[in-house]
Amino acid sequence: MKEFGTVEQVRKNRIRIRTVPDKIHDAITTAQAMLGFDRLITISTVDNGETLELLYHLIGSHRIIISLSLDLPRDKPVTPTVSDLLPPAGIYERQIHDLFGITFEGNPNMKKIILNEGWPENEYPLRKDWKPNAGVFYGGIKVERM
Amino acid sequence: MGVPDTGMSQRLVNWARAKSPWITVYNSGACNACDIEIIACLMPRFDVERFGILVKGSPRHADILIVTGHVTLKQASRLRRVWEQMPEPKYVIAMGACGASGGVFHGLYHMVESVDCVVPVDVYVAGCPPRPDEIINAVVTCLNLLEEDAAHGGKEWRQKKPATGVDAEGKSCTVVS
Repeated sequence: MKEFGTVEQVRKNRIRIRTVPDKIHDAITTAQAMLGFDRLITISTVDNGETLELLYHLIGSHRIIISLSLDLPRDKPVTPTVSDLLPPAGIYERQIHDLFGITFEGNPNMKKIILNEGWPENEYPLRKDWKPNAGVFYGGIKVERM
Repeated sequence: MGVPDTGMSQRLVNWARAKSPWITVYNSGACNACDIEIIACLMPRFDVERFGILVKGSPRHADILIVTGHVTLKQASRLRRVWEQMPEPKYVIAMGACGASGGVFHGLYHMVESVDCVVPVDVYVAGCPPRPDEIINAVVTCLNLLEEDAAHGGKEWRQKKPATGVDAEGKSCTVVS
């Protein structure tokens, strides 16, 4: 796995690999085919301030967890989808797109999944710098403020 | 409305209503603790059927709507629609700390401030979660309200005018119907 980025053993049964968006597809294919990491646990996201970090956690029958991490720039967070390799990842990607605004190129069904229907565009509530804007209607029911 | 109907049939209807309230439970995003307490309420130990209380699945059959939990933005329009489906006279019980003010979820990005921003609430039950006896007490309070409303010929006699002042954060809210 060294060709995909720096490999680090964080704990006894946990490996972290820092890779880049272009290599994530190959990294997951290799982890699945060569190392037996055949199942996706989850995709987690961290807001590091400058960057948004994506972590793909995979596990296999050997009970070792591999975490493939990506750093995406905050102003243009775009990464290719992995839902063609791991079908459940599509739902995680939609949720991450709702809450953090990361765009997954190639995901066939990039609709809102967790936020309500009237939620405005370009508002990503789990980013650290997000504050509710008093002038914006976030959906739900209109409340008359007096 | 305003003048109570004291005809024989209407008195019979009022009597029957107070003896057999049918409730429907709506979970608008709660943690399920309130729902478990309601289930405990229905079990033989507390046995709400001695008051004639029956839980119905459909809001079209119900007199009392129990809203458990805070209201998320996604649930707000659904809760409103459920409430609009209920036949008059209808009563709403907001259950738990979440129903009254949002509880631990107050001020989050996906929240309506409280249940009474969406539907008018008649009775609040305190607690997180409330005990089954408090829920029964709330329903019985609701029945007393129902009888008083029947005597007054409507709900108007106890409805307060909306507040005209602005509080510190400009956040006082009234129901827009």
